[in-house]
Amino acid sequence: MSVAFRTIRELGADLRAGRLSPVALAEACLHRLDTIGGKLNAVVTLTRERALEQARRAEAELKAGRDRGPLHGIPYGAKDLLATSGGIPTTWGAAPFRDRCFTYDATVIRHLEEAGAVLVAKLAMVEFAGGMGYRQPNASFTGPGISPWSPDAWSGGSSSGSGSAVGAGLVPFAIGSETWGSILSPAAYCGVTGLRPTYGRVSRHGAMALCWTLDKLGPLALTADDCGLVLDAIAGADPADATAAVRHYRYEDREPGRPFRFAVVRGTLEAAQPAVRETVGRALDTLRTLGSVEEIALPDLPYEAMTRVILWAEGASAVESLTESGAIAQLTAPEDRVTPYARDAILAKDYVRALRLRGVVAREIDRVLSRFDAIVGPSRAAVGPRLGEEFRSPIRGGAADVLGAIGNAAGLPSVGVPCGFTPEGLPIGLQFMGRAWDENIVLAAARAWQARTDFHRRRPPLA
Amino acid sequence: MAAIADEVELLWALIRQRYGARLDEAQLKIVRETLEGLARDVAALRGAKIPDDAEPAQPFIPFRAEP
Repeated sequence: MSVAFRTIRELGADLRAGRLSPVALAEACLHRLDTIGGKLNAVVTLTRERALEQARRAEAELKAGRDRGPLHGIPYGAKDLLATSGGIPTTWGAAPFRDRCFTYDATVIRHLEEAGAVLVAKLAMVEFAGGMGYRQPNASFTGPGISPWSPDAWSGGSSSGSGSAVGAGLVPFAIGSETWGSILSPAAYCGVTGLRPTYGRVSRHGAMALCWTLDKLGPLALTADDCGLVLDAIAGADPADATAAVRHYRYEDREPGRPFRFAVVRGTLEAAQPAVRETVGRALDTLRTLGSVEEIALPDLPYEAMTRVILWAEGASAVESLTESGAIAQLTAPEDRVTPYARDAILAKDYVRALRLRGVVAREIDRVLSRFDAIVGPSRAAVGPRLGEEFRSPIRGGAADVLGAIGNAAGLPSVGVPCGFTPEGLPIGLQFMGRAWDENIVLAAARAWQARTDFHRRRPPLA
Repeated sequence: MAAIADEVELLWALIRQRYGARLDEAQLKIVRETLEGLARDVAALRGAKIPDDAEPAQPFIPFRAEP
C-alpha cells in the first residue's frame, strides 16, 4: 500500500484498522525522504533512530488500545530551527551551526511527541530563516530548496524543506515557521496547504528567534483539515514562552452553516504577476459560490515599511553576536554575509514608532475584519522563481505584500491553499486571512475551498 | 527628503567606520543599497500620523520567581 500523499485522517484510519503499522509508515517516509528528499534539498537530518523508537511505541500503544489522538503514529518533519535533543543537530540552515546540538526539545516537538507523532526528519530551511536579507534561492548550506513541481523552480522559503517534503509526499505534515512569508511562500510554491497561526497561539520556546514579536510556528500539510489537526496538538500556553497565549484552542471541523463573507483588498490582485492575478481572479469566482466577495480599501498606512523596520531591528539584535564577530561571512548567500551590517542604521525611535503604528494597524484591521470571515488574496504575488534567479522580496522592499505585512505585524492567522497552476505547471496559492484567534474560521473557509476544488489533490512530477 | 538624505550619509559613515574594513567594494554596495531602502522605509514610517496616546504594541511582563 502506498502511503505517499495520504492525509492524516486517511493514514490514521488505516493505522487504527490494522491495515498499516506505524513502523512501516515511518520506514516508508524515511525511504522517500532519503531518496526523493535528497534530490529536492529538502532534508538536513534523517532522525531514523528516534523515529523508529517513536513508531514502535505508537504501534504498541495502539495495539493496547491507548489512542493519543489523530497524530498517533503519524510521521512528520520539523523545520531545522526547532531544537531537538538526543544528538540530533539543529542547524538553522546555516553553515556555522551545521554540527550544533541542543539538550532539549522545543515545546512544539514535545507536544507532538505527546500526541504520538513520529519525528522522521529535520527539514531544510533558508539560513537564519531568511532574516539576513537573501535575494536568491541558494541561501542554505544544504543547497537551494527545490519545488517538487519543477527541478528548476525554488521551493520557497524560509520553510523550504517543510514545503517540498509535504509537496512531494515524503511526510504527511511538517512544521514550519513564519516571520513574514515563510509558511505561505513554500506552501504556495510547493502546492500544499500552510497555516500561519495567530501570534502567540503556538509556543516559540526552542525555536530560533529571528524576530521575537513576529515569529510564529505552524503546520504545512496536504489539506486544511490536516493543518487543523496539527494545530490542535501544538497550540497552547507555555511557561517557557511568555507570549504563548493562555487562550484555549480546540480544532473544530464543523462547517459554519451559512455563506462565507470574504473581502478582497483593492490593489492586491493588481500588484501580482499576470498568472497569479488571473488564477486568483478565477478563484474569487469560485469563492462567490461559497458566499460573498466584497472589495474593500484599507487606510493609507505604510504597512510594509512598518513591518520591515520591526523585523530588521529585532533581527539585528537576534543575530548581533554573529554579525559583530564576523561569523556571518561563513553564510551561503553572499548578500547574507553583509546585509545585516546596514541594520545598525535603524534608530531606536523609529523602531518604537513602528511598534506604536503596529498597535494602530492591529485595531484598524480588526475593525475591518469584524465584518468578514476572511480577507482573501494571493499567498504570494509571484510564482516560484527559477533556481538561478535573483528574486524581489517584500522583506527587502523589492516587492509588494500588503497582506503579508499586515497579517504578520498584527499577528493574524492565515491559511494558504493551492488554487491553480501557471502554464508551465508551477502552483499558485490563495490565502484566507482572518481575525486574531479565528483559525477555525479560516480553516473552515479553506476546507470549503478544498471541497469545491481539486488543486490540493494534484501530484507533482518530482514525487 | 533632504533631511533623510543627510541622515543616510551620517549613518553610512557610521556603518563604514564600524564594518568598512571587513567589506570589499561589492559588499559595501549591497550594504549601501540596503541602507537606502531602510531610509525609504523610515521616511514612510515618520510620515504616518500616530495618535499621541498610541503605545508600542509590546507587552512587558514583570517577572517574579515562584517558589
